[in-house]
Amino acid sequence: MARKVEGTTMTEENQAQVTPMQQIEPQHHADKAPRESLVTVDDVTVKYSGSTAVEGVTFDIATNEITALIGASGCGKSTLLRCINRMNDLIPGAEVTGTINYKGVDLYGEKIDPVQVRKLIGMVFQKPNPFPKSIYDNVAFGPRVLGIKEDLDEIVEKSLRRASLWDEVKNRLNSSALGMSGGQQQRLCIARAIATSPDVILMDEPCSALDPISTGRIEDLMEELKTRYTIVIVTHNMQQAARVSDKTAFFTVNVNEDDKRFGQLVEFDDTEKIFTNPSDQRTEDYVTGKVG
Amino acid sequence: MAIEKPRMVFQEDLSAIEDITLSMFDLAAEMADRAVEAVLNQDIELARMVIESDDKIDGRYLDVSQSLLNLIALQAPVASDLRLIAALLSTNNHVERMGDLAVNIAKAVPLSGEEPPVDAEILNIIERMGLQVRSQIEQAKQALANQDAKLAEHLVVEDDILDALNKDIFRRAIEIGTDEDRREWAILMVLIGRHLERIGDNCVDIGEQVAFVVTGVFREFTDASAGSDASA
Repeated sequence: MARKVEGTTMTEENQAQVTPMQQIEPQHHADKAPRESLVTVDDVTVKYSGSTAVEGVTFDIATNEITALIGASGCGKSTLLRCINRMNDLIPGAEVTGTINYKGVDLYGEKIDPVQVRKLIGMVFQKPNPFPKSIYDNVAFGPRVLGIKEDLDEIVEKSLRRASLWDEVKNRLNSSALGMSGGQQQRLCIARAIATSPDVILMDEPCSALDPISTGRIEDLMEELKTRYTIVIVTHNMQQAARVSDKTAFFTVNVNEDDKRFGQLVEFDDTEKIFTNPSDQRTEDYVTGKVG
Repeated sequence: MAIEKPRMVFQEDLSAIEDITLSMFDLAAEMADRAVEAVLNQDIELARMVIESDDKIDGRYLDVSQSLLNLIALQAPVASDLRLIAALLSTNNHVERMGDLAVNIAKAVPLSGEEPPVDAEILNIIERMGLQVRSQIEQAKQALANQDAKLAEHLVVEDDILDALNKDIFRRAIEIGTDEDRREWAILMVLIGRHLERIGDNCVDIGEQVAFVVTGVFREFTDASAGSDASA
C-alpha cells in the first residue's frame, strides 16, 4: 500500500533517531544468477510544491544489471532516479509517496538515515563535478565523511582502478582534479562514488558532457562495474541505453486536467525487447523517433 | 508538446527503398512469366531476353542493399523500423534469387534443341506452375506492401499447390518411356519444375519476413526438415 513520505533534510533531532544502514550489508553478486531484485519501486509519485512531477511508478531494479531510464525531457526519469538515494530530500517542497525498498527495507522509513542510504546508493551526475581538491582527496572524501581513517590509500587505489583511471593518475594523485580532462573527471566522480563501497550506482546522463571517446570509455567501464555493482542510468541517448543496459524503463509526459505536465512509466522490459519489439505504441513511437 | 514525425527524412528514405523492393517483385514476376513462356514455345530469343534482364534486378538489388546499410549506419533504426529494414534486407536477397531462378529456367531452353520431343502433359504442368508462381509472387508483394501477416501465412497453402505440381512433373518424367531424347527433355523439365518450385519457396520465406515485421517474432511457417518429400 502506498503511503506518503515527506521529503526531509537531516536535522539534529531526526539524526538522533536514525538507524544506521550498515545493518543492511552491501552485497556484491559478481557471479550470481539469476538476477534478483535489489531495489523495488512501488507506486512512487513525486511532487514538487504540490505539483506532480512523476506519478505511480512501479518497477524492480535487478542486482548486477544496468537499468536505463529513458524518455523525453520532463518525463520524470531524473526525478525518479534521485528518489532512489533520497537526493530529493534536499529539495524544499519535494514530496515522495509510495515505497522504495532496498533489500526489503523501506528507504523512506522513519529511522532510515539518508546519508547512509547515499553511501550504499551512490550517484554520478550529468556534469563531472570533482571537488576543487587533489585527485586523492576527491576519492578519499566519502570514506573520510563516513569516519574511515585507515587503509585510505588502499581504498583510493582500488576505487581508481575500478574506475579505469589508476594508470592515468597514479603519478599525480596530489594534483588538482580540476586539471583533468572531462572524461577523466567523470571517471574520477565514478571512483569517488565507488569509494564508499556502494551496492548501487545511479548515473544521471553521465556522458552528456563528454566526447565520443570518453563516452565509450564510460560505457566500457559500466560494463565492468556491473559485475560488482547495480547501475541505474538516466540517458537521453537511446543508442547508449540500447548498448549498455539490460533493462529499460520508458517514461512519457502526460498532461492532467489542469493542463499540467507530469511523467509516467509506460513500459519496463528487457532492453532488447524495448528496442526491437516494444509492447506499447508510445514506446514504439518514441524509440523510433516518430514522436519527439 | 510532442513533435509529430521528427524523422521525416528517415521515413521518406525507408519508404523509397521499400518501393524499389516492391518494384523488384514485378521484375521477378515478369522474368518468371517470360521464362515459362520461352519454355512452352521453345522461344530461344525470349529466353535470351530473360537472361539479359537479370542485370536490371541485380542493379536494384545492389542499390537496395547499399541504401539499407546506409540507413542502419546513419539512422540507427530500432523497433518496427529495424524489423522492416531487416526484413527488406532478407527480401531483397530472396527477390534477387527469384530472378536468378528465372534465368536458370531460361538457360535451359536452348539446351533442349530446336524441336524437342515434348510431352503435352508435362508442358501443361509447367504452364500451371508458371501461373501459380506469378500468383505467389504477387501475394508476397501485397503481403509486404500492406504488412499483412495473414496473407503472408497463406503463402504456405499456395506453395503446397506448387509442390504438388512439381511432384507431378517428376512422376510424369518417370513414366515418359525409354526414348533417350524424350527422357533427356523430361529431365530438363524436372529441373525447370524444381526452379519454379524454389521461386515459390522464396515467396514463403518473404512471407515469414512479413510476419516478423508485423509480430516482432521470427518463426518458420513450416519445418523444412519435417516430412520425407525430397523434392519439396
